[in-house]
Amino acid sequence: MDADVTIVTFRDIFQDEAGKKGRYTDEYRDLSARIILDRQEMARLGVKDGQRLKVQNDVGSVVVAAKASEDEPHPALAFMISSPWSNQLVGDEVCNASNPGPKRITARVSPTDDGITQISELLQRMRA
Amino acid sequence: MAVCTGCSLLCEDIELVGGTSHAKNLCRKGWAHFQSLYTERTKPTIEDQDATLDGAIAKASEILANAKKPLLYGWSNSTLEAQAAGIELAKKIGAALEGTTSLGQCTLMEQVLTGKIPSCTLDDVRNYADTSVFWGADPSNSHPRHLSRFSYYPRGEKHQKSYEEERSCVAIDVRKSSTATLCSNYFYRLPPGTDDQFIESIMAALDGKIPKFGDKKRMIELGTLLRKTEYGALFPGRGLVYSLQEKMDLLQKLIAKLSEITAFKVVPMVEHYNTRGFNQLLLDETGFINSVSFHDGAAVHGPMQSMIEAARSCDAALVIGSDPLSSLPFGIARALAKKPLIAIDPRRSLTTDAAKVVIPSAMCGFEAGGTALRMDGVKIAFDSVIKGDMQSDEQILARIKEAI
Ligand code: SF4
Repeated sequence: MDADVTIVTFRDIFQDEAGKKGRYTDEYRDLSARIILDRQEMARLGVKDGQRLKVQNDVGSVVVAAKASEDEPHPALAFMISSPWSNQLVGDEVCNASNPGPKRITARVSPTDDGITQISELLQRMRA
Repeated sequence: MAVCTGCSLLCEDIELVGGTSHAKNLCRKGWAHFQSLYTERTKPTIEDQDATLDGAIAKASEILANAKKPLLYGWSNSTLEAQAAGIELAKKIGAALEGTTSLGQCTLMEQVLTGKIPSCTLDDVRNYADTSVFWGADPSNSHPRHLSRFSYYPRGEKHQKSYEEERSCVAIDVRKSSTATLCSNYFYRLPPGTDDQFIESIMAALDGKIPKFGDKKRMIELGTLLRKTEYGALFPGRGLVYSLQEKMDLLQKLIAKLSEITAFKVVPMVEHYNTRGFNQLLLDETGFINSVSFHDGAAVHGPMQSMIEAARSCDAALVIGSDPLSSLPFGIARALAKKPLIAIDPRRSLTTDAAKVVIPSAMCGFEAGGTALRMDGVKIAFDSVIKGDMQSDEQILARIKEAI
């Protein structure tokens, strides 16, 4: 089971605080490697809070934890805090109709048993 | 009093009671910024091996001197003095200069700095504004004291009764952000990428026509609020600028229309503490606010000077006070990560971990003083508040320039 979603990134003060403690802290990873999905979307995907999802598109892929949205229903719309994890899914900064940048990432999400992508792996991918 | 360099509000009322670990008036973000002074500090390294500061500066100078197309990137977490030193270095070595302002933010900031869009200071907002509009911006998370110091809660010269009676706050966003929750009476939720249609609808409502997009009743309600506003302030964030992109002129049209009715000003919600300073300084020096290359001597700006082109085409990059490998889209971060990187940074980041040379620097606002432009263009000066032997960005850049 998978779902196509549009991901909008946003800022979060708690993740910002965790990042200031250190980019390599578990707290920063736990707050960043997370995708907020509509509750019904999660039910369709068969995942609960904290279960892992692979998020992938033409640019890259990351494994992150699912989090149920507390907002009004927003099917096919997902949210991620801006971070090296969300940036893995954005090609470049040329924002136009075909590539609207970090505020409108299109991706496919599917449940996975793989572990959460670690920040050291993200760095390795950039340097590879 | 100390100044917090945690975001572009540059709060000047920070009381140090017994040192930086007991500072008063900080928000959560500022507090974390102050505490970051004690964690993850960098040390000089060359190719992951410990080095002396002199050795790291010498190696960085050598890399830049040998580069044919060097890139100097970052600047929004540097003082105006360090930025000026950076521009001089770029001229000397024929480098490209890139700030962290994204494409869309650049267009908006350019319109503000060149007077095409009317702007004002945050003190004007506190004193006179009766309507604040946060569009694609969530200051409660990005600039936490914005609402309390300037845009919603404080009493001002013309607003003695504070927010409950004399100020209205509007949030336009794709999600119910923390700020949208505070402005819930006037929260407008948009599907992603529909900000252009929302602008058209506001303009229709202002003209007394039936808006074609959005809930008609609520759009008319917004039109009425804006019409009766005596002094309005719009705070556009990344959400709006990324959505509008090439249609940024629509925002200009909306502000022009609002300005026919009332005073309406725009203050872009840039994030880092001296983002606007870099844009202003570069504009004064070169006529462009970002993405300038001195490769052939004179300052050149154009499509080939975009961040992605600069990252792809450079053969060495100096990154200052910024972590592009964390914050830039993967395509650009990957292009940059493969180049010989020199990182001048007080703290460890993905970029310092990937850098060939790391030069530790003093943290601005704590260990180094200087000046910076607040998000509204007001110049704020600050001194160092603790004694240390770390060199400032400005001093390090001067040493590199001298060595080259
Ligand atoms: S609002 Fe910004 S400048 Fe003011 S205390 Fe918070 S982080 Fe520091």
